[in-house]
Amino acid sequence: MAYQLSIFVENSPGKLERITKILADEKLNVRGICLASAGEFGIVKIIVDDPDKAYDKLKESSFTVSKRNIIAVRIDDKPGSLCNLLTILSSNKINIEDCYGVSVAYNNSALMIVEVEKYPDVESVLKKNNIETLTDKEVYSI
Amino acid sequence: MYWEKDIETLSFEKLKEYQLIKLKETIFQSKKSEYYGKKLKDIDSSSINSISDISNLPFTTKQDMRDNFPYGFLTVPLDDVVRLHSSSGTTGNPTVVYHSKQDLDEWTNLVARCMYMVGVRKSDVFQNIMGYGLFTGGIGFHYGAEKLGVLTIPIGPGNSKRQIWFLKEFQVTTIHILPSYALRLYTFFEELGVDPKKDLKLKTAFIGSEPHSEEIRKKIELLYGLKAYNSYGLSEMNGPGVAFECQYQDGLHVWEDNFYIEIIDPDTGKVLPDGEEGELVITTLKRDAMPLIRYRTKDLTKIIPEKCKCGRTHRRIDRIKGRSDDMLIINGVNIFPVQIEKTIMKVPEVGDNYIIELKKENFMDKVFVKIEINENTFHGTLNEIEKLQKKITEELKSELGINPVVKFVESGSLPQSEGKAVRVYDLRNK
Repeated sequence: MAYQLSIFVENSPGKLERITKILADEKLNVRGICLASAGEFGIVKIIVDDPDKAYDKLKESSFTVSKRNIIAVRIDDKPGSLCNLLTILSSNKINIEDCYGVSVAYNNSALMIVEVEKYPDVESVLKKNNIETLTDKEVYSI
Repeated sequence: MYWEKDIETLSFEKLKEYQLIKLKETIFQSKKSEYYGKKLKDIDSSSINSISDISNLPFTTKQDMRDNFPYGFLTVPLDDVVRLHSSSGTTGNPTVVYHSKQDLDEWTNLVARCMYMVGVRKSDVFQNIMGYGLFTGGIGFHYGAEKLGVLTIPIGPGNSKRQIWFLKEFQVTTIHILPSYALRLYTFFEELGVDPKKDLKLKTAFIGSEPHSEEIRKKIELLYGLKAYNSYGLSEMNGPGVAFECQYQDGLHVWEDNFYIEIIDPDTGKVLPDGEEGELVITTLKRDAMPLIRYRTKDLTKIIPEKCKCGRTHRRIDRIKGRSDDMLIINGVNIFPVQIEKTIMKVPEVGDNYIIELKKENFMDKVFVKIEINENTFHGTLNEIEKLQKKITEELKSELGINPVVKFVESGSLPQSEGKAVRVYDLRNK
């Protein structure tokens, strides 16, 4: 299962820059990024092409970082498709902890990055409903 | 001007004789307790020939009181105890002080004596803006004022608009208030269209429970157009009423018929001569249910040896300079940093590096706790951190009665202390 990195950051100038600098120095390519802020601090969620390496490098620079499982779901780039996906998840009592869209132009599709509580469930549920998810390899080369 | 002229102006020699008699009685009484029964086993009060012989007796500390919780210091049957006051006790056993009816009468009388000294009379109206409850400040003054026959409003602290309404409606003349709160309260007057100097009848403020400078006193006097008197007390010695300023506002008279005072070198325990600065040590001379002998207050001050113009012979101590331990006084509440630490460390998800910052906000003390996030328990969601923040805030609020701002910071971002950790940054006077 693919994962993204979740990094604790204080909300102050240069914090995000430091993270991206570390990744740049290691030639790690950022595939998706999302920020959630709670005022004085926040969480940066980041998808990179080599998450294990990024994780180690960030740790070495004493960032508080955690690996979070994600699922990348391909949905059609047309009205109602996100609603359709959410309907499937909610009718199967799968709660979304976090989600964000990364690319609206992925092979003529949109892509949603979704965090849920129940991983094996979500995969089988989506499969049953003919919703395509990306393989790990595809995720890291979005 | 004197509440009890004979006692307040007793000659120095007579006062010493009186203290000697009372000290002997105190030793006798104290030995009824389990603690002093053992501790003073070999001390015979007949071997005490002058009050200065007290220096042969051992000190008593806050830790002794904690270690002998709950009743190790009690000298009377529990049936004769009518009240107790207690510290919060987060760090283990609280320090509890028991009062018999006689003790409360003595305490009340001392507070009445203090208030009378600076001109409070039956015709005054007194608004007691100090905290009630286990804290001794509010309740101590309450009974003293009632004994004087003063109309007493037991309002307690907080709700500034209501405070001002009472001050105005009842033409209050006398208040008892934390100095920091007096400054904060002032900021509410303009909004309500009340001018404290024109619309109020205030003439006297008792300020205490937290260390404050002469500048703060002057400021309060200027803003409100009144006289502010410094009050000193500690719950181990009843509470307020231990030492108090007279009309000359030049040092605090310690009621030496009730308390014997010494100044010691906090490191060696050696008694220092009057005029030298050190730790204040107090022996109760009239306590019935719980006498304390040579209690180390940890408060730093000096005895002013000169006679006071007011005619009282009871010696004065200087304004408290600080503490010989790390106790913090936060809006009048006594807190040790270790209490904050214990509360934080009870939460497993917390990293072990943290600092406490104290700042002034709107004249009130504000506690900021900065904690490094624990990378081993971090799961990567905002929700968990917010929950944790809330949990720690609630714990500190309920355990210590302070309302801190808890902030999480990146691990490794706080100063790594070498040797003894510097955790407390008191920025209140900066």
